[in-house]
Amino acid sequence: MADEALTFQYAEPAQQREAVTLGMWAFLATEVLFFGALVAAYFNYRIWFGEEFIAAARMTKVAFGTINTGVLLTSSACMAMAVKTYEEGSRRAPVLWLSATALLGLAFIGIKSVEYWLEYQEHLVPAINFDLQRHGGVAEIFFIFYFCATGIHAVHLLIGISLVTWLAWWIGTGRIDPASSTTRLIGLYWHFVDIVWIFLFPLIYLAGRSG
Amino acid sequence: MSTGTIWRCWAALMLLLALTTGLAFVPLGPAQLGVSLAIACTKALLVLLLFMELKASSGLVRVFACAGFFWLLIMIALTSADYTHRTDQRVPVDEVR
Repeated sequence: MADEALTFQYAEPAQQREAVTLGMWAFLATEVLFFGALVAAYFNYRIWFGEEFIAAARMTKVAFGTINTGVLLTSSACMAMAVKTYEEGSRRAPVLWLSATALLGLAFIGIKSVEYWLEYQEHLVPAINFDLQRHGGVAEIFFIFYFCATGIHAVHLLIGISLVTWLAWWIGTGRIDPASSTTRLIGLYWHFVDIVWIFLFPLIYLAGRSG
Repeated sequence: MSTGTIWRCWAALMLLLALTTGLAFVPLGPAQLGVSLAIACTKALLVLLLFMELKASSGLVRVFACAGFFWLLIMIALTSADYTHRTDQRVPVDEVR
């Protein structure tokens, strides 16, 4: 557990700090490839279907996507503030910054849910109510990609919100070692989920807007 | 990392978001995808270097961070190279058209 000040296998705190950071990055590298496979599929669909695929991307709600990107980028800044204030020894400030981070994460999920609801009403949800006659097969392929990518991203974000909430609770009740790396590691995970969205946003929402 | 750096980085991210959304509505033709991906890469680099502290990390941590993206590049480059250069126009997904 990273909660321990120094576990027996490490000579000094700096070595432990680097080892746990390295472990987190090894995990994040697997996550890059996990989401990367979806992005690779997107590029191949774009090559195969060209204009038809891009036309389907125009059916997404660009205003919702843009606002949500802003919400997520702001949550990352709050997370960075939480890590900074925590490592400076403060115990009240990180709880407030973590709460802000979790609330912005929830706001993102809320906005995304409204978007999903609107898409449901427009019969754009594959396997549930997709209107093949109205939208066509290529649009269905696009929306399968869309719901897989944004859905898996939302699951990652929900895990992040749970971790951040738990962390805020533990820091607030003083149950966490002041020297622990846990805050920084959860921060790395949160920023990674933000990076995934940074790439999904132009691919999903901005494709073909000027066409 | 100072409070100033965090919020300057946030401001830069917001400006880039406004820029990429604005440019998406300007007819740039085939350059559209490249421009939006270049802006996305800039945003991701800001988050990686500052928020994820890679700028202040050891070389080994940076190598681990680069490894995932390097393999991703190979995966996307090789699969895209395959599908862009196929001469056989009939691919299984043509059935959905």
